[in-house]
Amino acid sequence: MELQAIHDTLTAAGVAGLLGCDEPRPSNKKEKDQGRSGLPFLMVDPAGIVPLLTACRDMPLLRFDLLIDLTAADPAADGEDLWVLIQLLSLKHRHRLAIKACLPKSALSMPSATAVYRAADWHERECSEMFGITFEGHPDPRKILLPDDWDGYPLRKDYEFPTEYHGISCE
Amino acid sequence: MGLLEESLDDNVLTTKVDWLLNWARLNSIWPMTFGLACCAIEMMAVGAAHHDLDRFGAGAFRASPRQADLMIVAGTVNYKMGERVKRLYDQMPFPKYVIAMGACATGGGPYFKYGYNVMKGVDRIIPVDVYIAGCPPRPEALLEGLMKLQQKIKRTPVIRRPAHTI
Repeated sequence: MELQAIHDTLTAAGVAGLLGCDEPRPSNKKEKDQGRSGLPFLMVDPAGIVPLLTACRDMPLLRFDLLIDLTAADPAADGEDLWVLIQLLSLKHRHRLAIKACLPKSALSMPSATAVYRAADWHERECSEMFGITFEGHPDPRKILLPDDWDGYPLRKDYEFPTEYHGISCE
Repeated sequence: MGLLEESLDDNVLTTKVDWLLNWARLNSIWPMTFGLACCAIEMMAVGAAHHDLDRFGAGAFRASPRQADLMIVAGTVNYKMGERVKRLYDQMPFPKYVIAMGACATGGGPYFKYGYNVMKGVDRIIPVDVYIAGCPPRPEALLEGLMKLQQKIKRTPVIRRPAHTI
């Protein structure tokens, strides 16, 4: 099923929080000519992510049974939003869905997807340590890769590198 | 002054004992089983039949730091791992040697500028005897590094000066 059809199916089922479809901007002419800039994606409201994912998983027409990826991106240091990006795959229908939710940097908090997809657990832990996003209702919100006492969120564009760690110079 | 030096004339035999001990040491450098990244794949290739680290008596990879003489830091050391590396080094008995294998362990390598979590060289926490260039170094380069270490051990005075001052 194509993205627009998925969007219409979800709308018909009464799922709230859909903000339309969009596609990634090709970063150069070669990508544009070859059409390799990525999957078109569904824009959603982060607050309604749990009912949306539940519908994607459970509706017989969609049946997205795998959460392929859940990650985030910081598109610009002076931008106002972080993106949370989710990829779903249906093994039954052989179709994919890319979801993008924009979170304002002033309020980096959204509901956890772990209740719908258990696979989101470690992905969300990585997102929260790398970008500072809080996933409400996460069962185990510890750091996953960084040391427990790490300061700052390394994958944010405005991150300042540490000058020393436990007495070891980082210069 | 050691017992040997008191019972015999100076120089000749003492030098021989040094030579004997160093010969024993340099031909049985047991490394620790310890790989951190892609360099470890090359290190495994060195241990395998084609390059055969056992020719130098250094093929007995020990699973415990307490049985090892040599730490081959094969790969990227980040700060979280660095503290573990330091602890493992502290657990090794003297005399102990360190080879920094590859660009990452030598100076941060490709992560030098933007690797917020990568230590800019393992010599910031432990003393390094031999640095090996490469990303990753070829197996021959690691063998060369091991031979350099053997030359260093060969020059080390043992009886006249305590080994732990190396």
